[in-house]
Amino acid sequence: MEEKNNDLNLSEEKQEFSCETNDNVVAENEVSLNDEAVNDVATEEENANEEETKGEKKAWKTFKHGVKKTGSTLWRWTRRTFIGASKDLVSEDKFGVEDIVSPTKQIFINFFHKPLAVTALVIFIIIFLFALIGPLVNKLDLGYNESYHVNIKPGYTFMNVPNDLKNNVKSISSFSYFSVGLDNNGKVYVWGNTKIPSSAEKTDLKNIPDEVRNSKVAFVAAGYDHIIAITESGRVIGWGEYEGAQYGDKGSLIGTSQVIAMPDILLNGTINVNDVAQLTCGYQVSAIVMKNGSVYVWGNYKSGATNMKTLRARTDVAEIQFLGTKCVALLKDGSVWFGNAEESLGIVEIAAADGSLTFKKLSEYQNGRKAVQIAATKSAVATLLDDGELVITGVFNTESETSVAQPVLAEGETVLQLEGGAKHFSMLTSAGNVYSFGDNNLKQCKAPGKTYGTDSKLIACAFQNYVIGSDSKLETKWGCKGYLMGTDELGRDVFLRIMHGGKQTMTIGAVAVIISTIIAVIIGCLSGYFGGWVDMLLMRVTEIFGAIPFLPFALILSSILAGKNIEENTRIFLIMVILGLLSWTGLARMVRGQILATRESEYVVAAKAMGVREGRIAFKHILPNVISVILVSVTLDFAGCMLTESSLSYLGFGVRLPRPTWGNMLDGCNSELVIGQFWWRWLFPAIFLLVTTICINIIGDSLRDVMDPKSSIEK
Amino acid sequence: MARYIAKRLLYILLVFILISFLMYLIYNAIPFDRARWLADEQKEAYKYDPEGLEQLYQEKRTELGLDKNIVERYLMWLGVMPLNGKYNGMLQGNFGVSYTNIQQPVVEVLKEPMKNTIFINVFATVLALGITIPLGILCAVKKGTKLDTGVQVGSIIGYSMPTFITAILFIFIFAISFGWFPVSGQETPGSTLTGAARFFDRLYYMALPLIVMTFCSLGGMTRYVRASMIEALSMDCIRTARAKGLKERTVIFSHAWRNALIPIVTLVIGWFLGIFSGSIMIENIFGLNGMGRMYIISLNNNDFDVVLTLQMFYVIIGLVGNLVIDLIYGLVDPRIRINK
Repeated sequence: MEEKNNDLNLSEEKQEFSCETNDNVVAENEVSLNDEAVNDVATEEENANEEETKGEKKAWKTFKHGVKKTGSTLWRWTRRTFIGASKDLVSEDKFGVEDIVSPTKQIFINFFHKPLAVTALVIFIIIFLFALIGPLVNKLDLGYNESYHVNIKPGYTFMNVPNDLKNNVKSISSFSYFSVGLDNNGKVYVWGNTKIPSSAEKTDLKNIPDEVRNSKVAFVAAGYDHIIAITESGRVIGWGEYEGAQYGDKGSLIGTSQVIAMPDILLNGTINVNDVAQLTCGYQVSAIVMKNGSVYVWGNYKSGATNMKTLRARTDVAEIQFLGTKCVALLKDGSVWFGNAEESLGIVEIAAADGSLTFKKLSEYQNGRKAVQIAATKSAVATLLDDGELVITGVFNTESETSVAQPVLAEGETVLQLEGGAKHFSMLTSAGNVYSFGDNNLKQCKAPGKTYGTDSKLIACAFQNYVIGSDSKLETKWGCKGYLMGTDELGRDVFLRIMHGGKQTMTIGAVAVIISTIIAVIIGCLSGYFGGWVDMLLMRVTEIFGAIPFLPFALILSSILAGKNIEENTRIFLIMVILGLLSWTGLARMVRGQILATRESEYVVAAKAMGVREGRIAFKHILPNVISVILVSVTLDFAGCMLTESSLSYLGFGVRLPRPTWGNMLDGCNSELVIGQFWWRWLFPAIFLLVTTICINIIGDSLRDVMDPKSSIEK
Repeated sequence: MARYIAKRLLYILLVFILISFLMYLIYNAIPFDRARWLADEQKEAYKYDPEGLEQLYQEKRTELGLDKNIVERYLMWLGVMPLNGKYNGMLQGNFGVSYTNIQQPVVEVLKEPMKNTIFINVFATVLALGITIPLGILCAVKKGTKLDTGVQVGSIIGYSMPTFITAILFIFIFAISFGWFPVSGQETPGSTLTGAARFFDRLYYMALPLIVMTFCSLGGMTRYVRASMIEALSMDCIRTARAKGLKERTVIFSHAWRNALIPIVTLVIGWFLGIFSGSIMIENIFGLNGMGRMYIISLNNNDFDVVLTLQMFYVIIGLVGNLVIDLIYGLVDPRIRINK
């Protein structure tokens, strides 16, 4: 008896599920009546049948009775004992509920009752929108790189001017990823990414030497990886990296022809601070300009300023500016000194009205006019002449999408202060306006539209700008705050690349899935529907494609593409096609199987017997059954294709650098150094890829569960 | 049975010929001229004799059979058509020549990588099976519990995670942060260890790739075992067994497990065949001299004979694997008649 009961219960359980998914409403009334009867028998004979309560529980949960699960069984038993079973049936409104819920709606309801699936869906939508809308808002310049911001740690510290300094600024200086400030009391502050990324010894620039900390400082300037300070007593002290003879006499390059060693008087003696006109630092080089026009220069001039050597002999220098690998000087007679770099930096391009270019040396172009101020970016020099004309020489490109063009000043407005960053110029005009122009990738040209006192001081650091009021108060600042997710080996913003890479990865995944699904559905449908020799032939083709080892074959195909000289966009499209062509076999088999099974099912036979047309059977009776299979497979394959693309790109056979994808961003993260020290370069793309694929897989799994009535038994 | 196998073998042969021809066509689409390459190696000697160089090039072309059309070349490569009067193709055991550094027969080049790949894959497979099968059974028996949900989520993460990310993550955690394992390499550089010491040294270097490989295969396999076990547990015979009052342990391991084993066995066989192919990703990341790494290196060096041989090897493994799986299926499941 017990065994029989079990069987009945089993059938009951199964039928409950068919109710749940509402496969056919007509059959279900009887079924439900049936199992209520069974339930009654069971309750009477055996008050606690485990299987049955389970089934009941599920039923109750499914139909949302509002009674708590644990209490419900007891409550039902009591009710049935005293009131009777028939009431139970009448009072249930489950048939009503069943009648109005369509299968699609039921799937929706079931799906949205899975908290995990909903969470996954929400996260996926967020990432999807991020990768879809983000690139439209934030443009990516593929050729962009920033050698001063290589391997920067995540964080927004670049413009965190210390509070003590804010109201009492004397000077602020920055050449790369850290800044150094000096207040009017002679105290030095350092902020930004103070740990030098390339340093093996993990030099931290925040460790200001005691000599500087304990004495009053008159001048301080920041170079690429070192800081030089001059104290009131005339001592010149440096800290930071010293290998390239940036300061001191410890560097391994000292004594070679690579570098100019620090002059002995600076190393061991003192200079008169009152005679110092300017202290400036560049890429591992430094210079002090004295008021009498003589200069002290030292450092790794071969990489920092190749024309610096001849500057030492001059005695008429007013100001020195360091570029990326050169230096320029403003001389006391109002001319600009370029040294041997005149060819590249000192030539003025004059565009005629008909578009033709003529070239003139700056000295000739000046034609008697005097230069009053100079400013320098990495590769360009701006010279302000005494009649108010601003001449820019060297390489200065403002035509790309991410740059700001030189502003046209109003009539009568003149430039008061001119300053240069790494890739931009800033100026303060007689109207009190501040303008920044040049490269705006790091928002260094996002100058506020306000006006400031004409006696304010404008400071342009490499990537930041500050306006200091006449009362030494920091009025405003703009520029690069730092990087949310750090930068890579070329100084590119990892976050921005993740955004654009996501778009690329998802596009490839989606197109590949669409291609493979179309092939699979066509082949599967033809094969399943027609059967016979068509089926035989198509299935053999499927098997042959299935026998091709996926990754090796994809590698070969993309290496063939690499050998051919084709455009990158075409190549990426062909990669999508390859992925699609190689991954359709599984779905094709599934579709075929599903169609075969459905074609033989009773209701299709019934429909045929009733004389329903072939086309109607195919679309109304068979297709809905296949759609669920396709939908689930598309979801899961989407994740699969994204992973394959990433793997291919990671191996260097997919999308090529500099175009980012989540896979090739991890390319080059293979060494111990990168994995260990520059963790942000692989961790963030990996997290994005991972979260996306996990979400898609969870969504796919949940879809399968809610669409397939059988699989929910396993749940 | 014998007839069935013969039929299948014939079918494999057919598919193999088709795929190999397809592959051969694709390889020939790669813009690379081996004869030109060989001739250019002698460029120094023919510095003042461009005609001699051209003649050498033509000689090389004849020698390699490049002056024939693609079908003829394919047949020569297979070994069913004579090249320069001699049958010398795959069927004769000649898989071509590897042209990196020194010219060597492909078989020689592949010997060492094959050994390494088998060495690491045997360990990885045994380890993975040892973990996934008990875990899958446990999850199936305790389905719906917190443990099961936890493992389910873990396995979704496991199979959503591409191998290279797992590898980088594990290198970061175990090799760099904790310093337990070496980051890459195969054995201590310049070591002169022999015997057991060498074995353990190699094992030490293999440990991290092994862990990564095992971890990567955990997700899919656990889910598979769990699903087939759940299906087995819902069978009528299990209910009967429980009704008879058998111990739960007996029910699970004797009744359910045997039924669940059928789909699992096929998968395991497939896995063991995968031992020979090697993991392209893992071998590349960890710098192991295995089949997968060989494949990438050869592909990058235009060493096509090696690539083609490997590709054919993968195809054969796949096809034979399918046959073996079908046969085993018949053996473990008496309900299936395969000799139809």
